Amino acid sequence: MTSTIAGRTRKVRRGYGRVALAFLAPAIVVLVLVRLVPAASALYGSLTRSSLLTGDTRFVSWENYAELLGNPDFRGAVGVTVLFTLIINPLQVAIAFALAVLFTRRLAGVRWWRSLVILPIAVPPAVSAVVWNVIYRPDDGLANAVLGVLGLPPQPFLTSPDQALAAIIVLLSWVGVGYWMLFLIAGINDVPGELYEAAALDGAGPWRKFFHITLPMCRRPLAFVLVADTVSNLLVFGPVQMLTGGGPEGSTNLLMYDIYTRAYTLGDLGRAQAEVVVLVLLTVVIVAGQFRMLRGDER
Amino acid sequence: MSPRSPRSRLAAAAAVLTSGALALAACSDESPTPSADEATPSAINLLGPEDPATFAPLIEGFEAEHDGYSVEYTQVPFDQLNSTLQQRLGAEDSTIDVYTVDQPRVAQLAAQGYLVDLTDLADEAQEVMSPTMYDVNVIGEEMWAASIWDSTQLMFYNVDALTAAGVEPPSSDPAERWTWEETVAAAEQVQAAGETEWGLILEQIEYYYQLQPLMASLGGGSGITGEDALTPDITNDAWVEAMTWYGDLFADGLAPRGVGSFETSPIFADGESAFFVGGPWDVGVFSESETNWAVAPMPYFDGGEQVTPTGSWSWGINPASQNQAAALLFLEYATLNPEGNLLSTEATTIIPANAEAAAEYLPQLEELAGDRSAGVADLITYELENTAFARPLTVGYVQFEEVMNTAFADIRNGSDPAERLAEATSQLEDAWSQLR
Repeated sequence: MTSTIAGRTRKVRRGYGRVALAFLAPAIVVLVLVRLVPAASALYGSLTRSSLLTGDTRFVSWENYAELLGNPDFRGAVGVTVLFTLIINPLQVAIAFALAVLFTRRLAGVRWWRSLVILPIAVPPAVSAVVWNVIYRPDDGLANAVLGVLGLPPQPFLTSPDQALAAIIVLLSWVGVGYWMLFLIAGINDVPGELYEAAALDGAGPWRKFFHITLPMCRRPLAFVLVADTVSNLLVFGPVQMLTGGGPEGSTNLLMYDIYTRAYTLGDLGRAQAEVVVLVLLTVVIVAGQFRMLRGDER
Repeated sequence: MSPRSPRSRLAAAAAVLTSGALALAACSDESPTPSADEATPSAINLLGPEDPATFAPLIEGFEAEHDGYSVEYTQVPFDQLNSTLQQRLGAEDSTIDVYTVDQPRVAQLAAQGYLVDLTDLADEAQEVMSPTMYDVNVIGEEMWAASIWDSTQLMFYNVDALTAAGVEPPSSDPAERWTWEETVAAAEQVQAAGETEWGLILEQIEYYYQLQPLMASLGGGSGITGEDALTPDITNDAWVEAMTWYGDLFADGLAPRGVGSFETSPIFADGESAFFVGGPWDVGVFSESETNWAVAPMPYFDGGEQVTPTGSWSWGINPASQNQAAALLFLEYATLNPEGNLLSTEATTIIPANAEAAAEYLPQLEELAGDRSAGVADLITYELENTAFARPLTVGYVQFEEVMNTAFADIRNGSDPAERLAEATSQLEDAWSQLR
């Protein structure tokens, strides 16, 4: 009797398994076709080299990787990307969180201000880049006009190797902060009101409430925003292509742009694909580090 | 001092390409030229960087003469044309039939197998086009594309600003061509008088096409040498001197930083620059401006050679096209047929590649902007025949242009010319090592 029931349960489970598999099949097929196959193809491509003049493609093992490591442009691109990642992600998450806290308080015109911060999301990235290109013009741009009103000297912005990366970071933050803020506002709204009431009864001030209630309770949305923001910033391409072309002097040559240049303007597909693999590995390492840090917080 | 003929330069360039061309022939598809006689009525897809209005008259003309045929035009932004072509042709995209080819890129596109062999049209093309416009599409013995337009550069100047600043304007006569030194001095005078914000702007402010004559005028060559035309030569004294002069234009405030190529013509049209070096297309653009302008020959360096840019677009056929015979019919109409070639210039001001079309077109161009464009036709004819200096023919041109344009942008923003050119040399050697 027991074995019959057990057998029936197994059959039912198998039935469920098949149904689940049927539902999952389209997603799995798509995952394999648009993610795994191209990834495998890039990995294989990174181990080959094609000559334009002979048309031959040959297996070169790790040669592309070795050459990349010796290439000053690639090493520069990695350095710029790491610096960019270290600055832009904490900056964007901190500003987005600060705005989220501010815009969840009962302030006059808060909805209007919130809409204003979210508005750049609706602007196509190419249009944002064109607008900021005009803002940053060294001679007749809006940014220098504002600096002039404040009595400050004009700045070269995108035309200076010392300022171009910072200028790109400001542009991307203008576009991105409102988007990430939305997730954090949702997280703050999910914090139970009783916690704040209890803290108020205990005499806690606004800062204490922020550090002991809001911040710890928002760890999950913050983790999501940090990881998603990091991945999105590692793939930044449009503003670099439209505004600086990786310059001046390689100061904005982020890895994604370097890959594009190598593949489609220099026609060096083998090394471009090796660079894609390096970028993916770099992303995995950074995101894994972030997960590890956030797991540490939970203990 | 007398300029070498464009033919001799091209012959020299072609000679250094021998080995590259042989290798090219070895790897190219052996597919024969399609025959336009086999074309059947169908839709032809054309891809290029121009505004759709540019080709509307040409397409209308073709469709009126060829029953049942239609042409669909797709525009790709100018600065994305080459990368888009690499992506789509590399993926054997059959939705492109005819496409725009930047002439110095013919060699590499052919080597990559992205162009149909048009050698069967070679005799006819040679008959109807100038040697420059024919040679630029021929690698070894094979013709891979057909020229649709040619170009040169002219110096436009703001007549009222020069007069108000007490500067005697330059003549449109090539015999009285100004030097760059004279031009800079005059530009500084106009700027100092407060007549214009800027002194001298080159339209394609970071592009090799327009900057090549600076180095060539000082005897620095095209920047490419070697038997296989894959050896950079961009650190010689002439290159460094020309690039130092160019960097100083921006450091001294004669030209603006932070404004991209092709964003520069509105500055002159608005009367904000004393001098502006631009193409024949600007005659049309500036004809609608309220600025009182006139044209003069593009300057040269004192004691140097008189050289001007040349070359423009060709059109080629995609080997992945399923419609090659119809594509060829359209390509022949647009390039070899004078009537069709002329229609391609009806909505834009550019020089038709077809000699008969050009002869008919240049007087119209002269009249376009009234007194302001006086002398344009004779000047263009002179420059094409005497000072035109073609871009180098090499399978490595794509890499060369990309690396150089980035270097020019850096020098414009203040990089040391000698150091930056040395860095560009390493970048070129690295990029070209992948071609061998």
